[in-house]
Amino acid sequence: MADFLRLVFNGFTSGSAYALAALGIVLIWRTSRTTNFAQGLIGTLNAYVAAWFILSQGWSIWLASLAALVTAFATGIIIDTIIIRPAAKVSPISKQIITLGIIMVIIGIIPWFFGTSRYQMPRFIPLSQSIDVAGATLHLNTILTLVVTLGIMAVMFWFIQFTRWGLATRVTASDETTSKLMGVPTKTITMVSWATAAILGTLAAIIVAPRTEVHVMMLITVQVSAFFAGTLGGFTTFFGPVVGAFIIAFGRNFAMFYISDIWGNVLLYMSILVFLYFRPYGIFGKKPSKKV
Amino acid sequence: MKIIDTIMRHLKKLPALVKHHPSWTFILFGVLVSLIAFLPHIGIMRFGTMSTVYAYIIILTTVALGLNLLLGFSGLISLGTAGFVGAGALGTAVFLNMGFPLEIAVLAVLFISGLIGAVIGLFSLKVESIYLAIATLFVGEIMRQIYTNVPIFGGQELNLGDDSRNFVTFFGVWELSFFDQMHRSILFVIITAAMVLSMIIIHHIIKSRTGRALMAMSRSQHAAQAMGVSLIKYRVMAFVIATLFATFGGVLYGIYYQSVPTEQWNLDLSLFLIAMIVVGGLKSIYGTVLGVFIIHGVPNLWLKNWFGDVSYVFSGVLIIAVIIFYPRGFIHIGHDLRRAYAGLRTRMRKKVKHHGEN
Repeated sequence: MADFLRLVFNGFTSGSAYALAALGIVLIWRTSRTTNFAQGLIGTLNAYVAAWFILSQGWSIWLASLAALVTAFATGIIIDTIIIRPAAKVSPISKQIITLGIIMVIIGIIPWFFGTSRYQMPRFIPLSQSIDVAGATLHLNTILTLVVTLGIMAVMFWFIQFTRWGLATRVTASDETTSKLMGVPTKTITMVSWATAAILGTLAAIIVAPRTEVHVMMLITVQVSAFFAGTLGGFTTFFGPVVGAFIIAFGRNFAMFYISDIWGNVLLYMSILVFLYFRPYGIFGKKPSKKV
Repeated sequence: MKIIDTIMRHLKKLPALVKHHPSWTFILFGVLVSLIAFLPHIGIMRFGTMSTVYAYIIILTTVALGLNLLLGFSGLISLGTAGFVGAGALGTAVFLNMGFPLEIAVLAVLFISGLIGAVIGLFSLKVESIYLAIATLFVGEIMRQIYTNVPIFGGQELNLGDDSRNFVTFFGVWELSFFDQMHRSILFVIITAAMVLSMIIIHHIIKSRTGRALMAMSRSQHAAQAMGVSLIKYRVMAFVIATLFATFGGVLYGIYYQSVPTEQWNLDLSLFLIAMIVVGGLKSIYGTVLGVFIIHGVPNLWLKNWFGDVSYVFSGVLIIAVIIFYPRGFIHIGHDLRRAYAGLRTRMRKKVKHHGEN
């Protein structure tokens, strides 16, 4: 039981990170029609900003994270304005490769600004503060992570479902040209989507960072898992990927602990592939209607 | 002016020549490329440059050609290519270490990969667009996990040959080692020949019934089906061909470098391969070569020396700029240059006339 709970608690943290990253990827997929491979690295770049404020300027983690979210917003807007918008007319495949270009630029920029040393990020609440649940330790930081993640998602869903701007986002996602004709400011929507996605990626990075160190490759697993979560949950909804993210996080922990730490991941991926064969658009996804 | 016109007149014959004798031009191209193998021996180039840059370009070109068929002609995207390149390289090494001769090992690896490719092809009939792309990423990740975790692949890297030195044996008698400089040049010529063979095969596939069927499918699946193109047959075929070329590229990697790492067959490599095709030009064989050269050659030959650590920034900017300014591929720069030259010529003629009248 203690092992089981430990795995569940561990899954909360990684699931939150995957869910945040996945939500960013889905947001950009819906509004810009491109797979954003740079999602992880945009987050990493801003995690560097947070780490720099903490370690060089002596700020508290709360303040530094806030600063990182502000720079994340700026990063998103800069990327949309100078790279994505001029490339609005290129084919979908080329657009994906543009995000690969963004990855390379960010990988080049990071050592330029922050050097090659690895930063150790602190947690919001130190590990010493924890409660005991049936023999397993539940860190207060895990609870905070989960609450913050779910809170942000609740706000996002409320925003997308019940506000004017949320409606604008949904119509842009379903048909950009028509929305533009109807007077929806699609450019602003796309720009804000990139900024929001960058913020979500940065939050994922700040959640993951204390577990390892801040370095360029730290979000690779999170990013790949976020793609998988999107596919499993379905790219046509905003909550599907969140569910997918937690399924993958728990599934990975259980498979690697109870079955085999070598084959656990492989088995998980295989079973998701088999599942996809029977439900090609994910758990919640719908088949898009297409004209011939 | 007269000289330029004469040169241009001869250059104008070039496209016709390429069009009428494509196989011979590929072979001529191959001969020119294999000349690189001799440059280190006369001291013009370092041996390291030949192996890390030019040999890798040749291997990646072979892989990218197959992927270009899949992406350019059938519009399907694969993010698992790197996994199959790894399968080619590591699989050959595993079979060789088990004591099979090289030729059998290569055929066995190609057969297994082709089967996996066929399964993905069948899978692609159900799943589409981004879901298919990520399904192939699943396959790539599964393969990467297997390479890095299963002991048969040697953990960090796998060496071909015996314990004392790395080598491969062709036809059971001809032993070539990467460590011998002369042998390394011969290996370079061998992989160049393999690349030329791949180019010729791809060219003939494109010009055949299969190529036309794939082209029809990429425009409109429903229209193609209505015209009697079997979706299941050609989708599976496209995936099998792409997989076979990726695996063949991996085999060339194993044969040339003779020491195969297990770590590098990840999403990054798959993305770079797609980038090479998109930057060079979809549906173009020489475009593929150009794309590989721009993405792998230019940074490693020049940018790294000029800019050091920040060379990555310039590679990224290069990719973004080429895609924004040449959305159909950098190979189309030739068309633009010709148009610019024509504009310049008419303007100059006008000027001459103008002066004459005065």
